[in-house]
Amino acid sequence: MKKNDVILIAGILLFALAAFGGLSWYSAASTQKAEAVVEIDGQEQGHYPLEQDTTVDIQLVDGSYNLLEIKDGKADIIEASCPDKICVNHHPVSKRGESLVCLPNKVVVEIKNGEGMEVDGTTH
Amino acid sequence: MKKKYIMVAVLAAVIILAGVVSKYSSQGELERYETTFFDIFDTVTSITGYAKSEEIFAGQAELLQKRMQHYHEMFDIYHTYEGVNNIKTINDAAGVEPVKVDGEIISLLKLGQEMYQKTGGKLNIAYGSVLSVWHEYREAGILEPENAQLPPESLLKERAGHTDMQKIVIDEGASTVFLEDPQMRLDVGSIGKGYAVQRLAEYAQEIGMEHVLFSVGGNVCAVGDKADGTPWRVGVEDPNAEWQGGYRQAVDIVGECLVTSGDYQRYYEVDGKRYCHIINPDTGMPSEYFPSVTVLAKDSGMADALSTSLFNMELEEGLAFVESIEDVEAMWIMEDGEIHCSSGFKVNEEE
Amino acid sequence: MAKKAAYMGMLTALAFVFSYIESLLPINLGIPGVKLGLANLVVIVALYTMGLRAAFTLSLVRIILAGFTFGNPASMVYSLAGGMLSLLVMVLGRKAKLFSVTGVSVLGGVFHNVGQILVAMLVMENANLAYYLPVLVLSGTAAGVLIGIMAAILVKRLKKAIGDLGY
Repeated sequence: MKKNDVILIAGILLFALAAFGGLSWYSAASTQKAEAVVEIDGQEQGHYPLEQDTTVDIQLVDGSYNLLEIKDGKADIIEASCPDKICVNHHPVSKRGESLVCLPNKVVVEIKNGEGMEVDGTTH
Repeated sequence: MKKKYIMVAVLAAVIILAGVVSKYSSQGELERYETTFFDIFDTVTSITGYAKSEEIFAGQAELLQKRMQHYHEMFDIYHTYEGVNNIKTINDAAGVEPVKVDGEIISLLKLGQEMYQKTGGKLNIAYGSVLSVWHEYREAGILEPENAQLPPESLLKERAGHTDMQKIVIDEGASTVFLEDPQMRLDVGSIGKGYAVQRLAEYAQEIGMEHVLFSVGGNVCAVGDKADGTPWRVGVEDPNAEWQGGYRQAVDIVGECLVTSGDYQRYYEVDGKRYCHIINPDTGMPSEYFPSVTVLAKDSGMADALSTSLFNMELEEGLAFVESIEDVEAMWIMEDGEIHCSSGFKVNEEE
Repeated sequence: MAKKAAYMGMLTALAFVFSYIESLLPINLGIPGVKLGLANLVVIVALYTMGLRAAFTLSLVRIILAGFTFGNPASMVYSLAGGMLSLLVMVLGRKAKLFSVTGVSVLGGVFHNVGQILVAMLVMENANLAYYLPVLVLSGTAAGVLIGIMAAILVKRLKKAIGDLGY
């Protein structure tokens, strides 16, 4: 091995270290914030960041509706036209993978990104 | 000298070529797709799978949805469908005549009989006449919470007299079912979904799907693993989530099924007390031993039946019961948030 | 000429065998086609004893043979990208006359992995694979050092035994 080889290897190691540092800084900086994704019958209608308080009126063509409130980093359906009100009774959701479902209206509000375990499915 | 530069140029060209070729060879890669539908088994169904293209997956999902719709119609106790003799048809003919039904209904009822034996009656598919009373009072109580009431004890007692499993007469040769007791009603809500999901998982493999995750209202069933070779991770909803949030526990499954029975999904309140939809056949009243129990088993029908049965047992009894069955594990979440697992239950907890 | 042909044949067979051994090694970083690069040992030996043209032919024949035998069209594309980029850089590194066999081998190892990850990013249309880069550069360096040391010994002994067959 020549001296140059050692310099080369040291250079590469330094590069790898720098790249690692840079990438992890970049990924930490760009971690996606939690948001509530609203779907009607499997079609995405919109997404709303949890850190921004807002009220979303989810209107269906037949006049049915769900009122979604985002407050204090949590999403909650506070009012709905459906008869069973399961979605209204459900506790507010905020962690990745949690969802609010209104079966009669075919409305699903799911939390994407943010903190929490990433899961492929859920049982309840 | 020049020759070498040509060689270098050739090398560079090959690299670019490789990149271009690879663009077109990417069609062989499996992509992940998910589809959701709302009109089956009165719950949300989602199918997650891998396919080479969206068209292929959509085609497979359509086949599965059709098959599922068929199970939904056969196991329905509230509606009749043209050209289908279903559970409601059997119920309507109770005490009158045997009803000719599809072989799938026969196998479902036989699973019900088997589980009745295994669980010492904690799971009773002939319990429909009692369940319908609770169903009525619950629906009314949800619609008008201020007028919510409990069913009168006398009515429950009277109905409980018509829940004898022996009165289900199955003639496999003629493929007929007859309820000898005219007051008796079948309700397969505790096993129908699980049975259907199990058959769907088998069907998915028949149509060439190797990596699928079914989720039918909390009945989760995996065909194989994920396309990248890792297991499916399924979050178990924590009934204490009101203050915890998210999934504290998750279970990794490959070709297995996970079913949860809980008191927090379907319930109504009378005088501030919560009454859930699972009724203990021993008492005729909603079970209230703990908020939820989750069962892991190879067969989805069995997992579904066992989760309901375990929900009707005390923790200690259930633990002993689970340990006595091979290849079945369970996890209990107690009122105070404490978690109990059978010996072989592996849970991933969030740090 | 006959000696050269026999030598070339032997090296090709050796490279092929190394590819086979590598296909048996259960190294899975979650990125298709990213491997140790054992066959690179033979390519380096060819480069130093027979020259660029032989090394290039050997590398190409090896990748195509192994691709058809143990792999699939997709894995062949990854190998091709990694193998060719690695060879290109090694040729330049050798021409620069700054490094010994080891240094050249390290360059080859690193760029072998870089080439594969670049193609993987293209194929999967997933820029996030770049996160694997530091790990791959490190593993490429490590493999390169090991293979380089072995190659240096081989090149020295082979040159003594059968003479310089290149240019």
